[in-house]
Amino acid sequence: MTGKFRLSRRQFVGAALAALAVPVIQACTPIGTPVPGTQPEATQPPLDTTPSPETEPTTLPETGQEPSELPYTGRTDVSGQIEFWHFWGSPLRRNAIRRVIAGFNEQYPEIQVTETFVPFGDIWTRAIAAVAAGSGMPDVLVDTVQLFDRAQNNIMTNLQDLAERDNITEADFWPHAWSQANVDGNLYGLPYETDIRVLYYNKAQFADAGLDPEVAPADWDALWTAADSLDIIAANGSIERMGFHPLIGNIGLDQWAWCNGGEWQAEDGTPTINAPENVEALAWIQQWSDRYGKPNVDAFQGTFGPPGLQDRFMSGKMSSLVDIQGYTSFLNFFNPNLSTEEGENLGYGLGAIPPAPGHEPAALSGGFALANPRGSQQTEAMWEFAKYAVYVGQASWARDTYAVPTVQDLARNDPVLNADPRWSFFIEAMDYGRPGVFNPFYPNMLEVLGPAVDAVLSGSMTPQEALDDAQRRAEEEIARARG
Amino acid sequence: MKPSEVEATARPRSGIVTHWRREAIVGYLFALPWIIHFLALTVGPMAFSLYASFTSYNIVNPPRWIGIDNYRFIFLSDDRFRIALYNTLYYVIIKTPIVIVLSLIFAVLLNNPIPGKRIFRTIYYLPTVITGVAAIFLWIWVLNPAGLLNRGLALIGIRGPNWFYDPAWSKPGLVVMSLWYIGSPILIFLAGLQDVPQHLYEAADIDGAGTWAKFRAITIPLLSPTIFFQIVTQIIGAFQVFNTAFVVSITAHTTAGDPAQSLLFYAVYLYLRGFRQLQMGFASALAWILFVIVLVITVIQVRLSERWVYYAG
Repeated sequence: MTGKFRLSRRQFVGAALAALAVPVIQACTPIGTPVPGTQPEATQPPLDTTPSPETEPTTLPETGQEPSELPYTGRTDVSGQIEFWHFWGSPLRRNAIRRVIAGFNEQYPEIQVTETFVPFGDIWTRAIAAVAAGSGMPDVLVDTVQLFDRAQNNIMTNLQDLAERDNITEADFWPHAWSQANVDGNLYGLPYETDIRVLYYNKAQFADAGLDPEVAPADWDALWTAADSLDIIAANGSIERMGFHPLIGNIGLDQWAWCNGGEWQAEDGTPTINAPENVEALAWIQQWSDRYGKPNVDAFQGTFGPPGLQDRFMSGKMSSLVDIQGYTSFLNFFNPNLSTEEGENLGYGLGAIPPAPGHEPAALSGGFALANPRGSQQTEAMWEFAKYAVYVGQASWARDTYAVPTVQDLARNDPVLNADPRWSFFIEAMDYGRPGVFNPFYPNMLEVLGPAVDAVLSGSMTPQEALDDAQRRAEEEIARARG
Repeated sequence: MKPSEVEATARPRSGIVTHWRREAIVGYLFALPWIIHFLALTVGPMAFSLYASFTSYNIVNPPRWIGIDNYRFIFLSDDRFRIALYNTLYYVIIKTPIVIVLSLIFAVLLNNPIPGKRIFRTIYYLPTVITGVAAIFLWIWVLNPAGLLNRGLALIGIRGPNWFYDPAWSKPGLVVMSLWYIGSPILIFLAGLQDVPQHLYEAADIDGAGTWAKFRAITIPLLSPTIFFQIVTQIIGAFQVFNTAFVVSITAHTTAGDPAQSLLFYAVYLYLRGFRQLQMGFASALAWILFVIVLVITVIQVRLSERWVYYAG
């Protein structure tokens, strides 16, 4: 009989409505189950986010050694227990941060630090939910340039009084790192690690192609000419080796426009997305895309593996690309064989970000900050930890991870870091580092660039049309937020 | 009638009423845990999200009433709303019929007395029990431009598309991937098929009906309530597509919704607004719009079903 599937209409509608109502509405329930993890949008490459199987908190033992002299105004008599949330789950970074904590415990035996790994995509959602709920928030949270937004929304504690008490000022830091943690003259986090983007190129491939392996392409024209010699394209158009592509690497239109003298907003926050320099930069990217053919580039990108011997640069598929200085740690670890046809391993070379002819290099210097979520009862202890981690711990952190310490003195003078001959190049490159673009009414304003680039590369809009459209979108979002 | 007689006739009736009432109270008591759960965790959040959709709300600070501004922006200015709705409708329209037809075909095949049919049933159902994200990664590799599927196509001389790297092929890629999960619809169809009375087929055999005629005139009509149920639930499920699109786009492109916003489905956009940009009011408005869309489509289907769904008996 058909009895089993005999539903009356009313029963059916009822069941169907119940089935659809719950998930749809739950989707926007403000505070709920953890949401799926996401990749970082910030400046760190995916290589930092390998989730660790261990997600449970780890408590480090106190060591009880005699405190030594600290390079900042510290109070080792402060006591308490602090909960530290970070997203450094890869074995390398997890060990590196534990080393920093162990050093802290030697100096501050009265403060116990519990470090907890929280995946990158979850960490802010969880912390914000805890702040909203008024309990369960960490005392120390690794935050990013989005700190502006958190400060504005009253999610993080204002640390300005503590900074003034201990005489912690901009003078010690890279200016961009300091500015990213400050809102209207108030400090909301202590900058921890920064980065700089540079050009990596395969010296052996340069030599084989008849280019000088000791000279990095200096500007956009030089990149284009070098690629003429470096590209290896099959008869059907499929790419076997690519000299360069402005969108393959750790960089995008936002920074290429800076390299052409462009800006994304005026000082008063008015978007200037369709400024002529930005349109030119997008047109330049379009030339590269047309050079190879977008479907070929798409197919080529699908052949890359994660950082390692199958990655785009180490495998020799890309002759040059832009990445942060931290990529060096992977190159050092995997030590790829970058040999000429004669078998001479020339390794890789570094260059400044190539700007448009006649312009200066410019690139995003991102990074993080140690912040204190509102509602935390351990602000004093957190502050001592943050100072230690930033002024002392960042040395061992940088040696382990190749991050650039935010404290200039550490970055410039640490003997172990300087033992690597490339380190001084990175420090020089820091001069062209800039903070990210932040619009108080539209924190993610540069998200409008993604669709614009897509529209141009797919041929549905000209660069001017695409950026006009992006400008309109940004203006509408800002108008909406202003209310 | 004497008072005592009145009492005598009234007593049994009030006894029944009391009994019914007692039974009702006991019933409600049994249902109470569910009712509390429903009110507190479903109706409550729904009501709050309806309120939140008229506010600017970022979780941390109290909601600020802004009237219909969220809705006005969504309908008049929001490109991404339109893109997300288009992507979602595309997915619903392409995926639903394919899933229904394929799972029906498989169910009919598996309903035959073939050797090893239990093994096949298990195999078809297996993907459903595999952890979602792990299976999605598997498919990202299969559908890689240089992956398993394209290599297979290359063997027969076809240059396969770039799937998740090409905005024109990313949604079809997702549909291909979703076909892996037809284990549950197959099971439901199988249950429906086994409810079709055998004597109808026997009678048809006597009348000399062929296989196709039996399928069209007996199987389909008697299976129509099941088909209707599948259509409704598949459409609702397709409207809510999130995991696959989200994981695929952030793995292949790092930006949710890419390539070229072709995987920006409605639920993905809602998530980005709510949890990335902390615009919970806006996200609530999006959720209610989706709710109304799905509700309207479902009601239309229920109305239309009167014309083609046959409830035997």
